[in-house]
Amino acid sequence: MCAGGCGLVRRMGVLAAMVVVMALLVVAGVHNLRQRRAAMAQARAAQIVLVKDGAAPVVDDGVENSGTSLMGKAAPGFTLVDLNGKKVSLADYKGHPVVVNFWATWCAPCRLEMPWFEEFAAKYKGQGLVVLGLSQDDADMPAAKIAEAAKKIGVTYTILQPGDKAKAEKDYALADYLPETFYVDKNGIVVEHSLGAPPKDELEADVKKAMQ
Amino acid sequence: MMKQGSGFSAQGPGWVLTVLLLLGVAGRAQEISFGGDAAKKGHVSLLSDDLVVEAGKAQVVELRFRVEEGFHINSHTPKDPLLIATALKLDAGDVKVLGVEYPQGAVFKLGLGADAETLDVYQGEFRVRVRVVAVRGSSTMVGTLHYQACDNAACFPPRDLAVKVAVTGK
Repeated sequence: MCAGGCGLVRRMGVLAAMVVVMALLVVAGVHNLRQRRAAMAQARAAQIVLVKDGAAPVVDDGVENSGTSLMGKAAPGFTLVDLNGKKVSLADYKGHPVVVNFWATWCAPCRLEMPWFEEFAAKYKGQGLVVLGLSQDDADMPAAKIAEAAKKIGVTYTILQPGDKAKAEKDYALADYLPETFYVDKNGIVVEHSLGAPPKDELEADVKKAMQ
Repeated sequence: MMKQGSGFSAQGPGWVLTVLLLLGVAGRAQEISFGGDAAKKGHVSLLSDDLVVEAGKAQVVELRFRVEEGFHINSHTPKDPLLIATALKLDAGDVKVLGVEYPQGAVFKLGLGADAETLDVYQGEFRVRVRVVAVRGSSTMVGTLHYQACDNAACFPPRDLAVKVAVTGK
């Protein structure tokens, strides 16, 4: 007698537990959806597309918030100091394909790809390729330390000391990690952008895009 | 009756399993909805619970940290001095710190073939042993863990994780 009654009670108990679990799922799902919508709205509100030479930024309705937004646009100009104390501007290389590579001495993947840039700088020298390595180390990092790192990595192309990092981050809409590279064609247009160290063949393909 | 009872018994584990699975899914949904992304943002979090130690006596306690899956941080003794070493810095306070002992790092190969670089890193959970003397009663061990996180292709800037652990001296 109890078997049937107890069984019914148990089943009702299990059913009640399932209803509670389903209700929890629905509440969590709704909350999750609301959070995602709020985050997306926030990202859209914060989206900024930057233009050359510090012109007034324009709010975009896209969701991309990294250097990818510079694709097809003029590379923002900069003037920084190389490891010998000489001022170097992107404008100095007008008419050349330029690789603008953001790196730091503490970034192991940067050190992995930099020798490839060195190799391609030599390989495509005849086509005017220029590689600029913009150090994102702390502003108080001595130039000698950066030079020591560059030597150890084995690069001889122009390395630029960290200048106004906030400006570079803003102008190039940099992500919060390294390396990050912009491939600029001879007309000064960003034709490719990469985040992180890509495989060597992919990196060379990006270099070639800048030379087309 | 017996048959009916047996039938319920046979279905019982199925129901229980279903409920457990749903609870698991619900738990995951809760994690997605309400989970602490703040800890993940820096890719390293402090796992340590409150500590209970013998008051006035030097002893070793372990602080547990976790590196987010897919990431690594340099060990306290990276192979290259240019890399940022993980370092725990504890403030002077009611808990006197006599010394800090770091775990050995694991070998991590970055890149392939001749271009590969061997790194010495912490991944997953790692424990830092701290030799302390605590006063009687409640106090707090405060400091920062300085580290720099990377994955296979990119690195985040060096960061400081706040370390705050309640210590009860008995």
